[in-house]
Amino acid sequence: MSTILIVEDEQHQRELYAMELQDEGYTVEQAANGKEAVEMVKKTKYDLVVLDIRMPEMDGIETLGKILSRDKKIPIIIYTAYSNYKSNFMTWTADAYITKSSDMKELKDKIREILAARSK
Amino acid sequence: MITYRFLKKTLTFILAGGQGERLYPLTKDRSKPSVPFGGIYRIIDFPLSNAINSDLRKIIVLTQYKSLSLDRHIKTAWNLFTRELEGFVDVVPAQQRIDSNWYRGTADAIFQNIYSIEMEKPEYVLVLSGDHVYKMDYRKLIGFHIEKNADLTIAAIEVPRAEASRFGILEVDAENRVRGFEEKPANPKPIPGKDESSFVSMGIYVFKTERLIRYVSEDHRTEGSNDFGKDIIPRIYSSDRVFAYDYVARESAFNYWRDIGTIKSYYDATLDLVSTSPQLNLYDRDWPIRTHMEQYPPAKTVHNDVTRRGVAVESLISSGSIVSGGSVYGSVISPGVRVNSYAEVYDSIIFSRVNVGRGAKIRNAIIDKNVVIPDNVTIGFDRAEDEKRFTVTEEGIVVIPKSYIF
Repeated sequence: MSTILIVEDEQHQRELYAMELQDEGYTVEQAANGKEAVEMVKKTKYDLVVLDIRMPEMDGIETLGKILSRDKKIPIIIYTAYSNYKSNFMTWTADAYITKSSDMKELKDKIREILAARSK
Repeated sequence: MITYRFLKKTLTFILAGGQGERLYPLTKDRSKPSVPFGGIYRIIDFPLSNAINSDLRKIIVLTQYKSLSLDRHIKTAWNLFTRELEGFVDVVPAQQRIDSNWYRGTADAIFQNIYSIEMEKPEYVLVLSGDHVYKMDYRKLIGFHIEKNADLTIAAIEVPRAEASRFGILEVDAENRVRGFEEKPANPKPIPGKDESSFVSMGIYVFKTERLIRYVSEDHRTEGSNDFGKDIIPRIYSSDRVFAYDYVARESAFNYWRDIGTIKSYYDATLDLVSTSPQLNLYDRDWPIRTHMEQYPPAKTVHNDVTRRGVAVESLISSGSIVSGGSVYGSVISPGVRVNSYAEVYDSIIFSRVNVGRGAKIRNAIIDKNVVIPDNVTIGFDRAEDEKRFTVTEEGIVVIPKSYIF
């Protein structure tokens, strides 16, 4: 059973993603911003992180750097409503950059793909 | 008339973090790129001069260890441009912005500075080492890179196979596309048909920006040494368009390149400058090597008695130096040096503001800045005696560190 950390400041969105991913059979934990996420990653070893970019306290770009400096191998998917953050090269370190959509299919497929590749 | 529009779209990084451990004690208080060279220069003046002579105008020097002297040098010598005209030579110390560590390897140094690339949005990124003494027209290198539509172009040179283990060894096809790469192997592959030579990377790279970013950000996710030579080139050369730029074949005017790794190679490269036709020509007005020098009066020789004659023969004597009743043979003298009466200096490299006392005899030595050599001291004639106080190389070169007090 893989454990996924969702980092998203919008509470109802976060809970929606959590439910959807639990339905896929994952254990899901939630962080409301980057700071929380960094603290949680220090304590728990997650199999994958789903990371929003625009967040208060600490944005997703900074969070990405901080998480990677603790654990280079942890898979991270950027999941954002905006495509323009691709011009920020730090986002290129993520395993995937997915623009939010209502059905979450792309996200789910990518999670499955990354976790399958990891378990090999 | 060829126009080099691509030069405006090129961002140049000079990696100037080299510690130069094998050049110790010259690197006791300075990094390798700021080690003085040729009387008035520092090693980093060579890649910087090449960049300016190649019409590159956006230059970022990345420093880390012991960078004070380098920082000061670049700010005084290389503050040439105004931002309004879109040119700059910036010195960027390791900011530890993304990561709290020093740069791990060359690729990490670039990764840690991706913000600068983001801001400049170049099409090409030229990565140079601040440790090498050479001349190169980077316009030709970048031109070749564009002509080949390469993802990465590596400048390369043939070196004797016996010395090739210090470098990345390239295998290329007829088009100079890289088909094999091995970083610092114990047993370097020879060039086909030339058993005693290997084709090696000069640590000079041109990247398509988008590829560079991909390489360094992927590499950031690995636990390796985060180095272009050790990690990235071996990983990409078979799948991507990686080419070797044959430096000597392409730049007929220039064929001199030294990665000054050791005291011996530093000594040889410096003293080669005093020969009648040095391999490295510092007098070429078409390719000037710039530096920063304090204002000094002209060099001077004084006294002309039979036993007390100020002479300098087959030597480079920098401004502000006075050879006063002593003699200098086959040596390179930096600014502000004084050689006093009856002193004799042979085959040596004397850094700025050294005072050679009356009757002192110096041979095969490198004397770092500000050293006062007492009267009648002898250096370079008695190995056992020198070893008690100084670094003496296998070949017998004596190095006296900066500000040493006798």
